[in-house]
Amino acid sequence: MSLKVDRADMAFTFKGGMLPMTVMELASADPEQIREQLSGKLSQSPAFFQHTPVVLSVEKLDEPHLALERICAVCRTHKLLPVAVRGGADPVKQSAWALGLGWFPPSDGARARSLEEVPPVEAEAPSEPEATASAASGGRIYRGTVRSGQQVSAPDGDLVVIGAVNAGAEVLAAGSIHVYGALRGRALAGIHGDTEAGIFCRELRAELLSVAGNYKRLEDIDPHLLGSSVQVVLRDAQLGITSLA
Amino acid sequence: MAKIIVVTSGKGGVGKTTSAAAIATGLALRGNKTVVIDFDVGLRNLDLIMGCERRVVYDLVNVIQGEAGLNQALIRDKRVDNLHILPASQTRDKDALTSEGVEKVLDTLGKDFDYILCDSPAGIERGAQLAMYYADEAIVVTNPEVSSVRDSDRILGLLASKTRRAERGEDPVKEHLLITRYNATRVDHGDMLNLEDIREILAIDLIGLIPESEAVLRASNQGVPVTHDDNSDAGQAYMDTVSRLLGEEIPLRFHELQKKSLLSRMFGGGRR
Repeated sequence: MSLKVDRADMAFTFKGGMLPMTVMELASADPEQIREQLSGKLSQSPAFFQHTPVVLSVEKLDEPHLALERICAVCRTHKLLPVAVRGGADPVKQSAWALGLGWFPPSDGARARSLEEVPPVEAEAPSEPEATASAASGGRIYRGTVRSGQQVSAPDGDLVVIGAVNAGAEVLAAGSIHVYGALRGRALAGIHGDTEAGIFCRELRAELLSVAGNYKRLEDIDPHLLGSSVQVVLRDAQLGITSLA
Repeated sequence: MAKIIVVTSGKGGVGKTTSAAAIATGLALRGNKTVVIDFDVGLRNLDLIMGCERRVVYDLVNVIQGEAGLNQALIRDKRVDNLHILPASQTRDKDALTSEGVEKVLDTLGKDFDYILCDSPAGIERGAQLAMYYADEAIVVTNPEVSSVRDSDRILGLLASKTRRAERGEDPVKEHLLITRYNATRVDHGDMLNLEDIREILAIDLIGLIPESEAVLRASNQGVPVTHDDNSDAGQAYMDTVSRLLGEEIPLRFHELQKKSLLSRMFGGGRR
C-alpha cells in the first residue's frame, strides 16, 4: 500500500514492499566461530559478499545475551551488512536497537502475520514479507467522514478511513479496516473470508462489527469498551474486542 | 452571478422553511437582492411563513412548464424591497419539476439577484435532490436530537455526491450547519444533544444556533419572518447567522444556560 499525495514538493512516500532478504540463521553465538566460517564462505563465493544486507536470526539460540556488536563487526569485515535481528529475548531486542538495527519478532507463522506484532519501523529494515502481503495491493485510503447512507469498500485489500464512519454508514474490506476517528456505523472486514483481517478504530461506537462473517451487534459489545480505541480480531472463531489504550 | 444556497435537512419539521424565510429576509435587510424559492411542490408553506399566501397567482411549476413568465410568478415582499418569493404549486407533485426547467429558472434569476435561496422539501427524493442540485452552498438545518442529526448526515452525503458541483468535479458545495430549536436548559438536563456532540458527528462549520423560542411559532402564524422581531432571541440569532453567511465573524450566542438573577426571576424578565 502506498500513501500518495498529489504534491510536487513531497520529500518522500512510505511504501510497503517485499524485498528478497538473506536471513543468516545463527547456530552459534561465538563471534570467533562465525568469523572462521565466514572466511571460508568468502573464498568460495566472493560475489555473494558485496555489502549484502542480512537479517541475523537468533531464534535457534538460547542465550539471553549476545555479543551482538562483535557479531555485527565480524559480518561487516566480510562485507555483509546486518540490517535487523530476528528473534531473541528482550535484551537482544534492546541491543539491536542500540546498534541501529531493526528487530523482528520470531517467525512462528500466525504471530508474525497479525498486525499487533508488526515489527517496529526502522529506516532501513524492510518489513516482514508476510505482514505486507495482504496490504500490498488493492488497499484503499478514504479521507473524510463516511456519512449515513454511504458505503465505502476496498474489495481487494485493506481500507483506511482518515475520519469518522457515522451511524448508518457502512465500510467493507477484503482485508482489515482501520478507522482514524469514531466508528459509529457498520464495519465488515474480511468479506471474502480472510480470518486474519481485523478492525481497528480510535473510538468504538459501531452498530455492527464483522470479521469473515463473524459478527457482533452494538448490543453484544461490552459497554465498557464503547468510546475507546480498540482492535477487533478473530480468536477461535470468536470476535475478540480488546482495548488499544 | 447569484449565489445559490439550499436550505435542507432530510428530516421534516426541523425548521427549514422558517430558516429559509428568516435568512432570506435577513439577507435582503442587509441590502442584498434576494429571492427565496419554495421547492416543496404539493406541500407549499413558504408563502404562509412569508405572509404572501393571498398574492400567489402563478408558481414555480407554471414557470417551468411555460404557462407563466418568471416575473409573473415572482412575488415582491411587502416589508423588504429587494426580497422576492417564488412559491411552489400546491396542486401538483414533485414530478412536475424537471432538472432542465429548474436550471433555466435559476439561470434567469441569477442574472438579477445576489442570493437565491432554495427551500428544500423534506426527504431525500426527487424534490430534495433538485433543490440541492445546482447549489453553491448548503445550510443544513438540524435539531438537537439523534434522528435529525442522522438525517442531516445523510443529506451531507448527498450534497457531496448528487450535486452539479460534485458531478462536474468542481469545488464542493460549501456546507454550513444551522442548529435550530436549541434549548440550553434541556441540553443541560441531558434531554437534547449538546452542541459539541452535533458538531463532532456532522463535522462541518457551524453557521448559527437558533434557540427554541416562542417568537418563532408566533412569527410563523403571523406570516412575518422572525428576523423582523429584533427583540427576540431567535430573531437576533438569525441575524447573526446572516452576518456569518456574509463572511463576518460573530461570537456564538444563546448556547449557554442563562442563570437568571433573583430580580429577573421575581419580575419574570427574560429574553423572549
